[in-house]
Amino acid sequence: MRLSRPQIQDLALGVLGILLFLLGWELIGFYKLAGLTWPRFSTVMEYLFDPSRRGLFGRAMGASFSMILGGYLLGFLIGLGAAMLSYTLKPMQPGIDRLASTINAIPPIALAPLFIVLLSREVTGMAIATINVFFVIYVAATSGLEKSRQNHRDLFKVLGASKSTRMLRLDLPAALPSIVSGMKYATPAAFIGAILGEWFGASRGLGLLMVSAMQNFQIPLLWSAVFIASAASLIAFGLMSLLERFVHGRFS
Amino acid sequence: MSPETAINVDHVGMVFTLDDGTELTAVRDVDIKIGKGEFVALLGPSGCGKSTILRLVAALEEASFGRVTIEGQDPAELSRAHRLGVAFQDHALLPWLTVKDNVALPYKVAGKKVDTTRVKELLELVGLGKFAGARPSQLSGGMRQRVSIARALVLRPDVLLLDEPFGALDAVTRRHMNVELQRIWAEDEVTTLLVTHSVEEALFLADRVLVMTGRPGTVAMEMKIPFARPRDPSIQRTPEFHAMADKLTLALEPEA
Repeated sequence: MRLSRPQIQDLALGVLGILLFLLGWELIGFYKLAGLTWPRFSTVMEYLFDPSRRGLFGRAMGASFSMILGGYLLGFLIGLGAAMLSYTLKPMQPGIDRLASTINAIPPIALAPLFIVLLSREVTGMAIATINVFFVIYVAATSGLEKSRQNHRDLFKVLGASKSTRMLRLDLPAALPSIVSGMKYATPAAFIGAILGEWFGASRGLGLLMVSAMQNFQIPLLWSAVFIASAASLIAFGLMSLLERFVHGRFS
Repeated sequence: MSPETAINVDHVGMVFTLDDGTELTAVRDVDIKIGKGEFVALLGPSGCGKSTILRLVAALEEASFGRVTIEGQDPAELSRAHRLGVAFQDHALLPWLTVKDNVALPYKVAGKKVDTTRVKELLELVGLGKFAGARPSQLSGGMRQRVSIARALVLRPDVLLLDEPFGALDAVTRRHMNVELQRIWAEDEVTTLLVTHSVEEALFLADRVLVMTGRPGTVAMEMKIPFARPRDPSIQRTPEFHAMADKLTLALEPEA
C-alpha cells in the first residue's frame, strides 16, 4: 500500500503525538508533579517487561482477553441475530427495539451482582461485555439493514428473490459498512465490560490485578495492568478502523 | 404485431394516494398488447406515467383498475419463476460484486448453477469481456448500463423490460448504446418493453412506438416502424426516419 503525502503527514503527527504524550508521562513522574502515585513511564515499562513477571501478566492477559473475545463474539452474534429477526419479522421490531434500549438503560454494573449469583464470578466480565457489545451491534445492524437502495430492492423483486436470498445477497452486504462501524465501537465496550466484571472478584485477569494492586499500593503493577488494557484496546480499535476503511471502500 | 399476445395491459388505471389523502391518477385506461418477440417502445415526456406501466408489468406495483397479464398469468408469477429481465435507468449494479458476478447474480437469486460460458458470452457481446473482474465503480456510465443489460438477458427471460436504460448518458454515448442494444437484441428476439423519452431511440429500436401523454397519462398514438432488421445506424439519417420523428414529436407536444 502506497501512502499519499497527507497520509504520511497524518502518520508522522500521530507518532509525534504519542511520543510527546509518553515524554510528558515520563517528566511528570520524574519531577513527581502528580505525587507518588504517578510513576515514570520508564519505571512502568521496566516493571512490565521484567522476565520474572512474564507469567503473571501472561496469565492475566490470557484470562481477560479470552473473556473480552468471548463476550465480543457472543454479543456480536446476539446483536446481529436480533437485528436480523426484527428486520425479517417487522411486527416484532418495536418490541425488540424497546427491549434492547431497556437492557442498555440499566448500567451493567448494577447487574453484576446478579450475574455473580446466577452465573459465576469467572464469567461475569464476559456477560457484561456481551451486553455492551450486543447493544452497539444491534443498533448498527438495524440501521444498516435499512440501507439497501430502492433500485436494488426493485431488482431483487423482479428477479424473484426469496426473503433469505435477499437477506444474504442484498441486505447483509448493504448493511456491512454499518455493522463494521458498530464492531469498531463495540471493541472498547467489550474491554470495559470484561475488566469491570473482573473487579467483582474474578480469580484472575487484568481487572483483578488492578484491584489487588490498588489495595496493596503496588503502583507500578497498577499502571502496568492499566497500560496493557489500554494498549490492547487501542490496538484492537485501530485494526477495526483499518477493516472499516476497507469495507466502506468496497461495500458502499 | 404477431398474433400471439405476450404482454396484455388490459385497460389499466393507476391511482396513488398521497400523504395528505388526496388521490392522484397517474395513468387512465391504458390498453397495450405486445406480441411475442415484439419490441415495443413506450414514448412520453417525464411524468406521463410510462414508468408506472413498466412497473406494473414488472409486478413492482398493483394496478388500481384493469389488469396486467403476461402470457395469461399475473406478472408476479413470471418474476417468481425468474423469467423477467429488467434494466433500470440507474444501472442498479451491486457495488460489492465484480462485473462478472453482477451478471451472474440472476442465476444465484434463482438458485441455479451459474453458467459461466453464458456469462462470458454475454460480456463479450456487450463488449466488456476484458472487464469481467472489474468493479462497477471502475467503469464508465455507459459500461455500467451495458453490464446491467447483460444481467437482464443472462437467464434468457421471456420478457425484457428496459426503463430508460440510457437516460442518464450523454447524447453521443446514448446513440452508440442504442446501436449496440439493437445488435444484442437481434441475437435473441425477446419480447421487450422499452420506456423512453427519446424519439430517436424509440424509432431506431422498436417494432412499434406508443406515445403516452397527459396527466393522467393515456396512449395518444401508435406507430408501426417499418425498418427491416438488422438496422444500420444510417437509417437514422433517412428522410423517412426524420418524417416519422417529426410526427412523433408533434404527438408528444400537441400544443407546441
